[in-house]
Amino acid sequence: MKNLATLLGATVMLASTAASFNASAQEYPYRDITTAVVWGAGGGTDSINRMIMAEMEKHLPVGISVINQTGGVAGSNGMVYVMNQPDDGYTLVGLSESNVTAAVQGGWDKRFNFWHPFIVGGSPDLISVPADSPYNTLEELVEAAKAAPGTVPAAASGSGSIHHLNLLAIENGTAAKFKFVPYKGSAPGQEAAVAGEVALVVTSLAEQAPLIAGGQLRPLAMLTADDAEFDGKTIKSAFSMYDGLDKYLPLKQAIGFAMHGSTSDDAKAKITAAFDKAIASDVVAEWAAANNYDIGGQSGAEATAIFDNLESTFAWTLWDLGAAKVDPATLGIPKP
Amino acid sequence: MEFVATQIAGFWGSFIGLASDPITYVYLIASVFLGIVFGALPGLTATLAVTILTGFFGNKFPLEHSLIALIGAYVGAIYGGSYPSILLNIPGTAASAATAMDGYPLTKQGRGGEALGITTTASFLGTLFGTLCLLIFVWVLLAVSKNIASPEKALLALFGILLSGTLMSQDLVIKGWIAGLIGLAMAMVGLDPILSESRYTFGWSYLLSGFQVVPVLMGAFAIPQIMDGLRATVMVAQVPQLGRIVPKFREVLRRMPAITRSGAIGTGVGALPGVGEDVAGWVSYGVGKASSKESKLFGKGSIDGLISAEAANNAAIGGALIPLLVLGIPGSPPAAALLGALKINNVIPGPTIDPALILHVVAILVLASLTMFIMGLFTARIFITILRIPQTVFLPVVMVLTTIGSFSVGGGINDLFLMIAVGLVAYTMNVMQYPIAPLVIGVILGGLFDETFRRSLLISDGDMSVFVSRPGAAILLALNVLLILSQIPAVKNGFRRLTGKKEPVA
Repeated sequence: MKNLATLLGATVMLASTAASFNASAQEYPYRDITTAVVWGAGGGTDSINRMIMAEMEKHLPVGISVINQTGGVAGSNGMVYVMNQPDDGYTLVGLSESNVTAAVQGGWDKRFNFWHPFIVGGSPDLISVPADSPYNTLEELVEAAKAAPGTVPAAASGSGSIHHLNLLAIENGTAAKFKFVPYKGSAPGQEAAVAGEVALVVTSLAEQAPLIAGGQLRPLAMLTADDAEFDGKTIKSAFSMYDGLDKYLPLKQAIGFAMHGSTSDDAKAKITAAFDKAIASDVVAEWAAANNYDIGGQSGAEATAIFDNLESTFAWTLWDLGAAKVDPATLGIPKP
Repeated sequence: MEFVATQIAGFWGSFIGLASDPITYVYLIASVFLGIVFGALPGLTATLAVTILTGFFGNKFPLEHSLIALIGAYVGAIYGGSYPSILLNIPGTAASAATAMDGYPLTKQGRGGEALGITTTASFLGTLFGTLCLLIFVWVLLAVSKNIASPEKALLALFGILLSGTLMSQDLVIKGWIAGLIGLAMAMVGLDPILSESRYTFGWSYLLSGFQVVPVLMGAFAIPQIMDGLRATVMVAQVPQLGRIVPKFREVLRRMPAITRSGAIGTGVGALPGVGEDVAGWVSYGVGKASSKESKLFGKGSIDGLISAEAANNAAIGGALIPLLVLGIPGSPPAAALLGALKINNVIPGPTIDPALILHVVAILVLASLTMFIMGLFTARIFITILRIPQTVFLPVVMVLTTIGSFSVGGGINDLFLMIAVGLVAYTMNVMQYPIAPLVIGVILGGLFDETFRRSLLISDGDMSVFVSRPGAAILLALNVLLILSQIPAVKNGFRRLTGKKEPVA
């Protein structure tokens, strides 16, 4: 369904691989690049990749086509698909921080540093309640949860998502206990909050923006160190309400794309150059402002360090929760 | 009332603006045609058509123009799926599976041309109906769809499975339900939606993502049809009289109640988040069978049955766009692809959306449905000549197209094995007179039922009363119970005595 384009892409690729034996002297990139996004069309990772690839194209002599290769565990289908393509820099993978759990969840057997990642950016998480909620502040919500532990239903995407981990962090930092209700992605979770099925939702500002602006959801607190300005109002940081939260909330979305770690330095350098130019452009700045994203712009070793930290936090948290299938120690993932 | 007047005035402004711009027609004609082709090719779906175009346009073209193409392809694909359903008994998309129920019998009677004409008209009027609702009742429908939570969705999914089981059975209703339950069981394979535990995967990683709908759909409908066709090696269908494809105005007028009813159901179902055109077709078909004057003809070539499915699946487009535009929550899978296209262009659909954009979308929908109608009456004439090709030549070609369609989902070679396995099971079921459609509906809706049913119980701590305490859920539960009771002979007889109705002569 998603992937007639893959099929066509694959055919073209086969044809051009055959051609490349004669043309191996040509300089990278001499034919179109394909980016396979591991999450579905319309989601954050998909939108970001389509946006940044369109911008990077302007700084490369070839085009970039974006396809979706979804399914598996934590996006493992798409990652395995790209892994099986040659590491010549012609097939990139569009991914996000949620993919770092693929290994401990049994989706594949590689650590995330198999990739050479590029981070376009991410949107900060926040905790919100339905518009008609009886809870006016985070403190009231936490008190209610403490009064009856495990009964206040909370939506935060699926198990092991960044939003889930942030919800866990809030619980650890405030000693409250919610009833975690998993949803397949952020949108259904937010939908459930609007319908009053859950009492609170933890997702990113980008995802909640239209619902907050339209008065369907009421923001209580940002789950980052800084306050956020939104729609002319200030959303306070939860750090200002509870001391010591910074110990538990180090996590932030990291959405972008990656190449095989084994790609040649030349190809890495060319993609990095195009990426840096694209990140600096006005188009990306405007896009980020309109969509409530913070621009990252890290690549290579810098981005790998960020993903290493995410991987170890995610993997060990899931393992401690009993939600991981593979012991992170056997994969060589260090404890956070 | 004032709101209605301003909406209509605003719509008229956008409509004139669009209709007077020649470039509009270039986009419209190309995209509606592409949509029809995607819909008509088995396995290629509306979602795929919209996704590919989203990739093609990106943010390189102005949004006003790319929207024309995306919506045009969406409308065209939902309509185009009806061609193979009617002519070959192979649904082009899941949305048009219900269309085959009455469309193919009509073709077998040599009335294929008439069926295509009626379908085109019903799709056109259905789209317009959904569009009108998007324009006028957007806030009313939003208030309803917003309050649909997990218990209601679970019961609606169950209702869909039971309903198709009830409707499709040729002899015993229980056979339809058995088929539905097999489908439901197939939907359980893979990672479970609540705890991410793997179920029935036997350590095989392919099964982790579950059975994809498209290979199952193709296996269930196309393969038995192709096997049957080749076994018979004669023309299954009579060579149709080309005759009149454009339906008579009086005929259309006479069918207006059916079209309006189906349009209303389609729009309502489409407006529910995550439930799309496929469900709309079935629900409307079921209601049609229960309420139409010619309900006995349903499944044997009823025009009302055809209209019920086709007007509803096209009306669902307007419905699906309501939560997308005003809440930012897509009402169907193709609408999710549209959401992506809007986001790339820095338009965040939701309560803050520019009202002019909604009017623009409405104007595009009206133009797209008109284009579809006019183009449809021409393409139908071409498509119907397919029936003149000998089956021995044509069916192998269909098989190739079906295989490509199944492969396009991206699951690799295993999806093709799945398609063939489902096909063989479906063939056996056909021989034993088990209906196959409920199995497919089970696979489509089973995941939704599983997820929402278990989530309802998770939130209520296992208390079943959530399915009665909410008014919407209580109504849906009552419908489910009534549906089952109505098929138990003792209850059936009691009911008949009560109403004093005579045993209908079949």
